[in-house]
Amino acid sequence: MTESLRRHAPLLLSLAAGTALWEIAGRRASAAFLVPLSETLVRLWEIAASGQLWEQFVSSAALFLTGFALALAIGMPLGMLLARMRVLRVALEPYIMILYATPMVALIPFILSLMGFGFAPKALVVFLFAVFPVLYNTIEGARSIKPELIEVARSFRSSEWKLWCDVMVPYTLPFAMTGVRQAIGRGLVGMVAAEFFLSATGLGQLIMTAGQNFDTGGVFAAILVIGLIGVGLMRVGLMLEQRFARWRD
Amino acid sequence: MDAIASPSVPDVKGASGAGVRIRVRGLAKRYGALEVFRSIDLDVGDCEILSIVGPSGCGKTTLLRCIDGLIPVDEGEIWVNGTRVTQPIAGMAMVFQHFGLFPWKTVYGNVAYGLKMAGASKAEIAERVPHFIAMVGLKGFENAYPYQISGGMQQRCGLARALAVEPSVLLMDEPFAAVDAQTREILQFELLRIWEQRPTTMLFVTHSIEEAVLMGDRVIVLKGRPSSIAETIVVDLPRPRTRETLREPRFAALREHVWSTLLSEARRAEFEVGGGL
Amino acid sequence: MASLDASLAKPIAKEAPRRRALGVSGVFLPRLLAGLAIVLVWEASVRAFLPAYVAKPSTVLLAIPKTVVDAAFLAATADTLGAVAQGLGIAVVIGTLVGLVIGRSPTADRMLRHYVNGFYAVPMIVILPLLSLWFGYTSATRLATIVYAAIFSIVVNVSDGARAVPREYMEVARSFRAQRLRGLFEIVLPAATPYFLAGIRLAAGRALIGAVVAEFFTAIGGLGYFILFMSRTFRHDEAFVGVALLAAFGVGVDVFVAWCTRRFLPWYRRDERSA
Repeated sequence: MTESLRRHAPLLLSLAAGTALWEIAGRRASAAFLVPLSETLVRLWEIAASGQLWEQFVSSAALFLTGFALALAIGMPLGMLLARMRVLRVALEPYIMILYATPMVALIPFILSLMGFGFAPKALVVFLFAVFPVLYNTIEGARSIKPELIEVARSFRSSEWKLWCDVMVPYTLPFAMTGVRQAIGRGLVGMVAAEFFLSATGLGQLIMTAGQNFDTGGVFAAILVIGLIGVGLMRVGLMLEQRFARWRD
Repeated sequence: MDAIASPSVPDVKGASGAGVRIRVRGLAKRYGALEVFRSIDLDVGDCEILSIVGPSGCGKTTLLRCIDGLIPVDEGEIWVNGTRVTQPIAGMAMVFQHFGLFPWKTVYGNVAYGLKMAGASKAEIAERVPHFIAMVGLKGFENAYPYQISGGMQQRCGLARALAVEPSVLLMDEPFAAVDAQTREILQFELLRIWEQRPTTMLFVTHSIEEAVLMGDRVIVLKGRPSSIAETIVVDLPRPRTRETLREPRFAALREHVWSTLLSEARRAEFEVGGGL
Repeated sequence: MASLDASLAKPIAKEAPRRRALGVSGVFLPRLLAGLAIVLVWEASVRAFLPAYVAKPSTVLLAIPKTVVDAAFLAATADTLGAVAQGLGIAVVIGTLVGLVIGRSPTADRMLRHYVNGFYAVPMIVILPLLSLWFGYTSATRLATIVYAAIFSIVVNVSDGARAVPREYMEVARSFRAQRLRGLFEIVLPAATPYFLAGIRLAAGRALIGAVVAEFFTAIGGLGYFILFMSRTFRHDEAFVGVALLAAFGVGVDVFVAWCTRRFLPWYRRDERSA
């Protein structure tokens, strides 16, 4: 009891200090710059009570999940296929690397002018942000499969389908999960970017309108919500990664 | 067999007092409820090699770390060169079982490390490092990184790093346990050759009985749970010791003696800890 | 496997080819063909289905010589890349210091870890409206966004690296009576360097995104705004040259970090560590 108290004391202290700092700084600073935690929470409650928060959350979630699911559905199988088909992988690797390193936000103006403001272009933005980490990491994982393992499967006269089930997929999954974790982070940025720059909907709109109205409390409230979603999703990503990485140690 | 053992007299060469380099009295170490060893007394004389053998998990490495001042003791005192050891002191150097080479330093950089920490000047380092690299037979590999050389060569580098600070006391923590059998034999004789050139006091921890007898002026057997010194065996084999030594009947007799002292204990320990290292 | 340990020396400084050699043609030819295929499909589909202003390889190629000598484009490039460099510099200095403290002090770790992880997980783009409230629609907002985008990947990576220093190394240092600070510089820094480089690589990518996003949002001059403006005025080819430049910068950082790792950290080989 006292032992755990002592272990957690720095954490509790720092949380208390952070909260106090926010509160005090918020009270002393001009309201246009910083609002105290208490006021932020009050504002958050107002937004939640009006039903606005839930509505925008659902809108954002639909966008994120669509783009993210597409990224997984295309990125993982394609990554493994490329890993298995050597020539294809060698041929496409540099282009995938380039796209992985390209800031996808820069494509938003093109998407806007070609596809307009609808749901599809926004889902495409989330997809583009999320797919390359998945693809890149899956390939990295699959190429590190030891040829011996595939030889073992061959020598036991495994069929191609069985080889995928027994070797390719289980071996690659932990690497793919690292990509999934990165994709969660990037996908969230893509989601907000799409909501900022294509058409204002969802949680992005919540922040934008609050900012335009100089409603600093609203800005903080919305950032707090998205921040918590980010932290939560990161946790999920880490759990997934650890769940599938167990055999690696 | 009784003629070999001289149990109750811990210091032989050091009996005169003046030549004692390491003096340990009433040492005990516990990890929580687990008592590793208790009431260890030993003296090591000037330029004497003392081997310590014992079954896996008997605490011989822990004992060595205590003497180096890396970990605190629970009871007892350690004196090295007349200084009470509570933390690593000058004049003492350790060779580690897993080499402990820094992968980002070259052979040269690793050998220079100890000197650098001792505050040696650049000129001094430039003068001494090549000498010790040559001594351990690593000439030509100065700029190699540890990953580029074999395990045996890595430990040569570890040895050179320790020798370079010219310690009066050298602590060897199963230095050859991580290399293959052939390399191990080569390194053993290499170490003996270096010691003949430049004798120092040495504490040599090993779990190889043969190695303990080959190296040591005396062999200490650690036994029991918690372990303590079960027996001290004087190795009256002439020096310099060479491959010929291995064939002498006296060597075989001593090895058998240490083995029989250890055997019962080793068996029991194997079943208790599952045998593994 | 040889009899003498001296002969066991592995070849020095000779990077063993990790994969079975395919030969130059085996690598180059498929890549060239794939590149050609991508370009052709792109060109054909734009010509067949999309309006003339949409960027396609042939017109982008023609736009390059015009664009790269365009004063506005050059100024925009200098603006954006200068801001990225400056922001990265700030993030690296502060991030490394904070990362080392968190990595080596358990108390600091327990105090700060949750804040760092929390801020790291917040999609950096959401703080833009707040930063533009604070700094206005100026380049200061862009710089702040870049620093925010970059700093946490460095803190997280450096602290991981500093924490992951093998205990044997610290023990060797103590045995050779290294002072605390000496130990930090001689052991923790080099051991953490690979992590640091990985952090820089991540941070540079995020910094670039941060810069572009900030320019979109605040409409201050720079490469991001250049792309936005050109595509709004239906000059996609010029805009695409900007995208290509951003991509080149992103790839360039990756290549540079990989080169640094090989050049300065030859001892660090990831494939061996994970094995």
